[in-house]
Amino acid sequence: MKDFYEQLIENDLNPYLLFDSNGKVKSYNKEAEFLLNFVSIKELFQLAVSNASLNFGFNHKYVSLKYNKQSYYAILVGYANDDEIALRLYKVVSNNTHTIKDDKLKLVNIFSLIDLSKNSTLLHSKLEINELYDISIPEIKININDFLLCLNECFSIFKNEDFISLQVYIKIGEYEIINQKKCKIVSLEFKSHGNLSFDKSLEKTLEAKAHKSNANIFFDHNAIKLELPMIL
Amino acid sequence: MNKFIAKSESSKKLLNIAQMSSSLPVNILIIGEKGVGKKILAQNILPDASIFDAKTLEETIINKTANVEQYIELIIINIDQVVNKKEFLDKLENIKLVATTTNVSQDIESNFAIKLDIPPLKERKEDLQELIKMYVDEAENIYEINIDPEDIDIDLSTNGVSLKKSIFRNSILKSLKDDDMSYSLEEFITTKLKKDYTYKDLLEYFEIPLLKAAKKEYKSQLQMANKLNINRITLRKKLDQYSNALND
Repeated sequence: MKDFYEQLIENDLNPYLLFDSNGKVKSYNKEAEFLLNFVSIKELFQLAVSNASLNFGFNHKYVSLKYNKQSYYAILVGYANDDEIALRLYKVVSNNTHTIKDDKLKLVNIFSLIDLSKNSTLLHSKLEINELYDISIPEIKININDFLLCLNECFSIFKNEDFISLQVYIKIGEYEIINQKKCKIVSLEFKSHGNLSFDKSLEKTLEAKAHKSNANIFFDHNAIKLELPMIL
Repeated sequence: MNKFIAKSESSKKLLNIAQMSSSLPVNILIIGEKGVGKKILAQNILPDASIFDAKTLEETIINKTANVEQYIELIIINIDQVVNKKEFLDKLENIKLVATTTNVSQDIESNFAIKLDIPPLKERKEDLQELIKMYVDEAENIYEINIDPEDIDIDLSTNGVSLKKSIFRNSILKSLKDDDMSYSLEEFITTKLKKDYTYKDLLEYFEIPLLKAAKKEYKSQLQMANKLNINRITLRKKLDQYSNALND
């Protein structure tokens, strides 16, 4: 019977992790393994500890969390002794299939758009950019207007910096299903030497702009990553 | 159609972006002070597009006096003058727009994927030299005189507009002959006489330029009085009388 429960947790769509008292992971399921690509063990342990009940037992909490593309609406923290603490996160699941209207998409060279956005946004800026481009990326279908608006905002964030790197590459092993077709993902990674400081409202604006141009945007302390499907 | 002068580095970059974006389905906003060349750059991007003043076009849309849907591309001048910008831009959603503005605001900017910010002429030395040369050539042809650009008191307060005005004004003044001067003075005095100016009122129009020129030409009041052949006391009185105008 024990095996059955273990299998149930292993195959759950929601991530599950068990930590020891030092914050080391003792056990986790498949979903948690995927989640650990985007968030540190330390951060999840802190999340568990800070939301644990006062006494032994289980505590549900409704929180809004987002790691990479996945959002979570609640967590469950449980512990029965001082040596172990378990954390389960509840995914926001949507079964809407991702469709993009084709009428506003145009086949275009992504590097031309990057050049255009860079030159117009940074016309009077002294920012130097180390460009690391995978030139094998073919022409892809993009909503040019919306994508440029999003790209302009990304470049604007670095306007007052001296130096950044911009890497454009195809992500290996990741796909998105768009209009029932499997599409590779192109990633544009803007990386600065120092920490980036911008408020949450700008993050929201950028997310909305990225979404409108069928892309996803991710923020790190010193980087912004824009990912868009390679619709051919 | 005039060609956008692009001799300076910043103008070359701007023209390059303009050319790259001309074939893309994106809206372009050209920003800059009066007279920097916004309209000319817009015409370089969309040479066949109709040109509208933004306020007039807004009224046309509101009053439904014209069907804007017939256009596939438009140049809109002074888009910052539009009252209801969102509604205005919604109506033009399927048209490729190149708009110009002197003032930038968030509600306009967010609708334009490409923004071209043209610096003032004083920051574009190479373009300024080229423009001076162009206007001087034009003025020399019209007035049949030789102009040394160094002699012109160039006015850049409204960039190309005031530059052209200052060069042409200078050229007109240089080309005036005695007859022209006499004729223009006569015309000028006639208009003043219609407004009941007296002999005394009109005298200052002769005396101020005369004293200004003499002050520039001669070193001292003694020399001025001798050369103009008037009494030193009379000269001093005149200089005192017009001291404000002479010290400007």
